Amino acid sequence: MSSIITEAFTHDHHACDHLLAAAEKSLTSGDWAVIGQASEALISTVNHHFDVEEQTLFPRLASIYRVASNPIEVMCSEHAQMRALLSDLGEAVAQRDRDTCQGVLETFHFLTQQHNSKEEIVLYPMADGALRDQATEIAGLVARES
Amino acid sequence: MLNTAGLSLDQAPPIRVPFAFFLAAPFFVFLAGALLLWQGEAALLTRWSPSALALTHLIALGFLTQVMLGALFQMLPVLIGARVPGAAWIAPLVQVFLILGTLALAVGLQWGGAVWLSLGGGALAVGLAVFMGAAGVALARGRGAPRTLQAMRLALFGLLMTLLLGVLLVAGLLGVPIGGLTAWVDLHLGWALLGWVGMLILGVGYQVVPMFHVTPAYPAWLARPAAWVILSGLLLATAATLMGWGGLAVWGFGSAVGVLAIFALVTLDQQRRRERPRIDVTLLHWWSAMLSVLLAAVVWLSDGRAELVGVLVLVGVGLGLPSGMLFKIMPFLSWFHLQHRQVAARRFDVRLPHMQAFIPERWARVQFGLHLSALLALTLAAVWPETVWLTPLGALMMMSAAALLSWLQLGCYRRHLQIGRRFLTSCAQ
Ligand SMILES: [Fe+2]
Ligand SMILES: [Fe+2]
Repeated sequence: MSSIITEAFTHDHHACDHLLAAAEKSLTSGDWAVIGQASEALISTVNHHFDVEEQTLFPRLASIYRVASNPIEVMCSEHAQMRALLSDLGEAVAQRDRDTCQGVLETFHFLTQQHNSKEEIVLYPMADGALRDQATEIAGLVARES
Repeated sequence: MLNTAGLSLDQAPPIRVPFAFFLAAPFFVFLAGALLLWQGEAALLTRWSPSALALTHLIALGFLTQVMLGALFQMLPVLIGARVPGAAWIAPLVQVFLILGTLALAVGLQWGGAVWLSLGGGALAVGLAVFMGAAGVALARGRGAPRTLQAMRLALFGLLMTLLLGVLLVAGLLGVPIGGLTAWVDLHLGWALLGWVGMLILGVGYQVVPMFHVTPAYPAWLARPAAWVILSGLLLATAATLMGWGGLAVWGFGSAVGVLAIFALVTLDQQRRRERPRIDVTLLHWWSAMLSVLLAAVVWLSDGRAELVGVLVLVGVGLGLPSGMLFKIMPFLSWFHLQHRQVAARRFDVRLPHMQAFIPERWARVQFGLHLSALLALTLAAVWPETVWLTPLGALMMMSAAALLSWLQLGCYRRHLQIGRRFLTSCAQ
């Protein structure tokens, strides 16, 4: 069975993991310009990933497999939680509040890991099965230089 | 065709289910510490003493297995994309039998008594069988990372073998004639430590080590054969025990021990290459547990004292790793469930604290320090059993570590309830 979608989106998850680790590392530098850049990179990459899932991957999957709509709903509500945390992160960076930055990143990290794991195990393989003829096109949406 | 049975990605079951397991577990460490304080010299003098047997089961079943079962009821949807059916009512049932069985078995092993032993063995058999049935259904439906899935399935098989051999040994203690009882005890121990605990660490480790600290994935040369080598080693040891060939059984155990030692080395190397810079308590617990595995393997392979191996495995790994996991899982679950309620109640005016607010990192580090001192004191006590003050010192450290763990857990739960109430009270205004 094809795994184009699983591979591309899993790869993008890892790209986000690297950016999160980089943001945490930047906190130890104490240089707020560097911290701002690192968290900006994290926020925009994660938001882009969510956008592709919410606007393209999930709706197309749901239109073919009705059973997927319940798990998709759970995934989207977790996106909302993570987006809220990212906006907390932006605020904390603006206020130069290091402890809050660290707290938000830790919470965001755990939430993201369990979220990604569920997508990689269940939803992406399902999407690979359902969207065989569109897989390359959808995968292209998250395949960015990294 | 696509298998969609049991497809559910929400965080089932409700938070009280895993928390009941987590909150009850330190109580057994406290009991084990008290027993050690009271009967300590005998316990570390020989693994065959009644108190050594009782202690082992209090820690292995009361703490380690209890925490792991609670975590599995919670984490299987995340790890393998399938949940335990009926977890909300099966889990409390399993827990009641596990607790009663462990207590009765410990009493029976310490003081003798056919009633206690059969009660303990019987209750554990029922509780664990129900768990294995339910988790078996989830694992049969599971998907995702093949190495994790395989190791988890084999861990469940290891638990089954441990249980069957345990029941056999209880029968032996009750007077059923069994030839070469000590060889069967070794086999029970082998399946328990290598087949259940070891395999579970493999399965969970493949997933959470890269996840928690952002490390590369485990190398295929290790992950592909590891679980199978452990399984074949244990099957070889079982066959050898049946035939009465003690020498061959040792080779079977040895290959499994070797694999776990390599796993520990690779894990330490993975964590050295982690991208997240922070050294949190979970990482500290992993380090001390993996070093304990390595040391235990060296002692066992060089035919050292069995009591020393026991301390390293039970305290270093059996108490350490679950504690490290609890410090991450409990704050996360508290936060996660509150977040859900917040969304459901549309109460965005109530600000949620982040994960770390549920268990203060500073106190978690103090708890790790106590745990480490207990491990150190008891390791030395097992090396020099004639130094009489080491064992009570270690026992006291172990009890204080358990008490502090319990205190931190209760604080986490109290915080969760407090914030949860805010959703109700401010609604009324
Ligand atoms: Fe997602
Ligand atoms: Fe995703």
